[in-house]
Amino acid sequence: MPAPTDVNIPAPSTLAMPSPGLPPFDYLCPDDPDEVVALLLQHGRSARLLMGGTDLFVQMRDGALAPRVVIDVKRLPGMRELSFDPADGLHVGAAVNMNALAAAPAVQQFYPLLAQAVASVASYQLRTRATMGGNLCNGSPAADTAPAALVLDAQCVVWGPDGERTIPANNFFLGVRKTALQPGEFLTRMEFPVPPTGYAGRYIKLGRNAGGDLAIVGVAVLGYPETSAASGYRFRFALASVAPTPIRVPEAEALLAEQPITSGLLSQAALAAEDAATPINDLRGSARYRKAMVRNLTRRALDDVWNQLQAEG
Amino acid sequence: MSTTTTNPTRPVGDSVKRIDALEKVTGEALFADDLQFGPGLLFGRIVRSPHPHALIKHIDTSRALAMPGVKAVVTGADTPKQIGLYLKDRHIFCRERTRYVGDPVAGVVATSEEIAEAACKLVEVEYEVLEPVLDPLRGMAPDAPLIHPDLGNYEVPNFIFPKAGTNISNHFKIRKGDPDAAWALCDAIVEDEFRVPHVQHVPIEPHVAVAKMDQRGEITLWTSSQSPFAQRNLIAEALGLSQSSVRVIAPFVGGGFGCKAGVTMEALAVVMAQKVPGYAVKLRLTREEEFFTTFVRQGLIARTKIGATADGKIQAMQTEYFWDAGAYTEYGVNITRASGYSSTGPYEIPNVRADSYCVYTNHPVGGAFRGFGMPEIHWGIEQIVDMLAEAIGMDKAEFRLKNCIRTGSIIATGSTMHPVGLVECIKQATAAIHWGTEERASAPHKRRGKGLAIMWKAPAMPPNAGSSASVRFNEDATVTVSVGGQEIGQGAFTVAAQMAAAALGVPYEWVRVEGPIDTQYNPYEWQTVASRLTWSMGNAVMAAAKDARRQVLDLAAEHWGEDVDHLDIKDGMVISYRSEEAMPLKKMVVYGLPKPAGQGWRGGPIIGHGSFMPSYVTGLDPETGQGPRSVVHYTTGCQAVDLEVDTITGQVTILRIAAAFDVGKAINPDQVRAQIEGGAVQGASTALFEGFQLKNGKLANHSFVDYRIATSVDVPFEIIPIIIEVPQDDGPWGARGIGEHSMVPTAPAIANAVADAIGVRVLELPITAEKLYLALEAQADGMPV
Repeated sequence: MPAPTDVNIPAPSTLAMPSPGLPPFDYLCPDDPDEVVALLLQHGRSARLLMGGTDLFVQMRDGALAPRVVIDVKRLPGMRELSFDPADGLHVGAAVNMNALAAAPAVQQFYPLLAQAVASVASYQLRTRATMGGNLCNGSPAADTAPAALVLDAQCVVWGPDGERTIPANNFFLGVRKTALQPGEFLTRMEFPVPPTGYAGRYIKLGRNAGGDLAIVGVAVLGYPETSAASGYRFRFALASVAPTPIRVPEAEALLAEQPITSGLLSQAALAAEDAATPINDLRGSARYRKAMVRNLTRRALDDVWNQLQAEG
Repeated sequence: MSTTTTNPTRPVGDSVKRIDALEKVTGEALFADDLQFGPGLLFGRIVRSPHPHALIKHIDTSRALAMPGVKAVVTGADTPKQIGLYLKDRHIFCRERTRYVGDPVAGVVATSEEIAEAACKLVEVEYEVLEPVLDPLRGMAPDAPLIHPDLGNYEVPNFIFPKAGTNISNHFKIRKGDPDAAWALCDAIVEDEFRVPHVQHVPIEPHVAVAKMDQRGEITLWTSSQSPFAQRNLIAEALGLSQSSVRVIAPFVGGGFGCKAGVTMEALAVVMAQKVPGYAVKLRLTREEEFFTTFVRQGLIARTKIGATADGKIQAMQTEYFWDAGAYTEYGVNITRASGYSSTGPYEIPNVRADSYCVYTNHPVGGAFRGFGMPEIHWGIEQIVDMLAEAIGMDKAEFRLKNCIRTGSIIATGSTMHPVGLVECIKQATAAIHWGTEERASAPHKRRGKGLAIMWKAPAMPPNAGSSASVRFNEDATVTVSVGGQEIGQGAFTVAAQMAAAALGVPYEWVRVEGPIDTQYNPYEWQTVASRLTWSMGNAVMAAAKDARRQVLDLAAEHWGEDVDHLDIKDGMVISYRSEEAMPLKKMVVYGLPKPAGQGWRGGPIIGHGSFMPSYVTGLDPETGQGPRSVVHYTTGCQAVDLEVDTITGQVTILRIAAAFDVGKAINPDQVRAQIEGGAVQGASTALFEGFQLKNGKLANHSFVDYRIATSVDVPFEIIPIIIEVPQDDGPWGARGIGEHSMVPTAPAIANAVADAIGVRVLELPITAEKLYLALEAQADGMPV
């Protein structure tokens, strides 16, 4: 089990005050993805990509990042496109803003769990700029859209020196602010396969207040009928803000596939989620509270999903 | 001839539209940072102490001064005199010692904010780090490091009592009756300790100041300010200038709540401007600086013991307040005093002992904050009264009705209570949430609870804080009102216009109130604080309007050859009830009226003047805190809260807050309701979310990321505002203040409702979901909570 890690941007140890302005940088806006790759390879860690800027500029102002080059990628072909195909599923350009994503009819109709997760991020005003692609690439363990990406089996499509490749969301997060992106690579879109027939999902975010907080705990649960499972159902669980990365909970998923589902089994699954969480103490909440909330909110989300499945079944 | 209207004092008592509504909703209104100063404008940034307590051994500014674009660097060497509203205990820039993390050590003036910021990093400061005081109880200890070794030499007014050789900047005492003897009579005694963390005002507009010194050495300061005149006075004194050589211009304020009263960063801008004559220097704080380098609400540790006889009568109360006042005490010493004389809450208690200590700590500087000590002390008072009612076995509303102050009650200072409608406030607020009726929670895992809290608060200010106003007519009989009180969003200008219109007899729409407030042209006002404008500035506006009205009536009486007592002004017309003559105010109020047969003219431009200063507030005995009239008046009120606690997460959902306040007279009922709603929201925010997390003197949550405040989606609850009107003898039309009072009882009312819902008493703010959840878990395990 990984050691507990601080999920926050570390607080400065001296009086490092955020600057009233941003440090100087060069702004580049290429129109060819290969040019982006070349720039990334040329500038390495001193280049950062810009989409909505809601994480980047905050970190630059705080002094956590000081890139010499900021590469705006939101104008590249396809970056702001969203499409749905009944066979292929949902394709979301990495720079589609969150309000557009949550409001898209296909998302509302076929991926309401994704809409719930996206709508829980920050505030409406911020979501006109913020993008799901940026939320994932920022690599925060608290990313609200990550649990949805995990349980919906999203694929992250990236462009890089060798052209296009696909990284499953489940392999995308490596550590705090660390993703599977290699030098020269950048995320171009997320692909969500057609969800399982008859599925139900729920994302619950716990913040200190209702308006715009970071998650103390985020819990996503997705369930669907599956004849191959002993229980007749399969579930997927994902958690935010309680480990160095957003995580799946395979233990809970196995439990609910193997035995007939009872109230007691739902409780066991919630306990398995609690066991999987390795949170820290921070300004937002104690590890003890976080673990209890993983258990309680997993149970709440699970009850909700289970009730939906039974109502439909 | 008389007009019949439903409201004889119109437009006083009418919910007229705000006078500044259009310019504010269209974005046309100008705030300090909107003012333009051309390409010569310079910018300042501040070098701040990273240590909570340190000696400055050496400062080297040479590298900063050498940086291209840097025009000047200022240090404590440039500010020899001390400044402070009550106790003059600080230098504008630190000299030999720094006393909190963020204390200004040097200021850099440059051609851009970025250059100034970069140059700040080149100012080399050598510190000798000292042991900090991080808790007021530690600060009280005899062996605590002294934060102000020279406290005994500081200049101080005669109602503040610093103790030389300690960290205590004020000790206020109440000694009334004999509590020690009274405990024996009591059938129930409750004792506990309550804690309140530091909180921030978080105005939407951070502090901004632009200062300029001209070639004659005269200073102009443009700033977002609640206190243009107090700032003029304090800055002039600290710099050895005449008050007439300092001009403060204060446009609209984007939220004050107390943080823009007194002097904070404005003086930094002025001292920097003195180094670059002829240039304006702008200093604006980042949001992070706003959190801990300007005033904060002080922390408090309150220890209270209270007892009652079996009949439910409170017999004695004993209180100690230890205020975590921070490094300096701009307002803290007077908050300590106000909380001491109000320490019983709005109860008549025969035996009282109170000791209120203002203690220096190496924390951010305590200042004025909506309620000025009252939300902090009521957090404990209103919970311990609830606990005592429980111990006695009485309904909590009934217990309060039995003990609360009424007209003629003898209060803690021995003063007699003026006419007061608190009983009615309690009855109406509790009725509005169906007090005494158990109602079901919305889900099986939720618990519902109801709670109430009552409050009192007096304007805490020097006994002789004054107001003045002028009222002058234009040719078309429109009226320009000039005041020194500030429009900080509370509606002061609207109320001033209503009062002028009512006293003159002209329509509300004819009245303008001049802004920005400019100390060179506007009449004096002490400060826009203490919920005192409607009352004190209102008295001055009423007097000025009556003065102008008398001049008009004298002129018309002479013109018509009538007795002035038969004349009146209605809807902009001068009328005679005897002769039934009438003439418009138009023209005559500027040009006068012609004498008969071309014999010349009489009258002339009409200007009315008025001022007000309470002359009847007496001093209090320094040993007993007793005196015949301790304050001008108290505003009282009650909030009743209906809420649910989610036992799965600990989260509180407020369903309803009913809030009744005795405002004497609602000059503008909609604005009063808006204050009552706003207070409930800010009160709920401080109750559930807010609090500084200070670690070794450093603020860990110095931004909105981790300092959470209630947003519109956090307050979906219903707020039921109730206006009670028992007139105030010295208020205009009977009015008293309401701006601060509306948030005073909210936190304890919520705490009492939480206790009712789940049996958990939270003694330290805020009431977070985590605290409640962990307490519920302990309760389930049979642990004490």
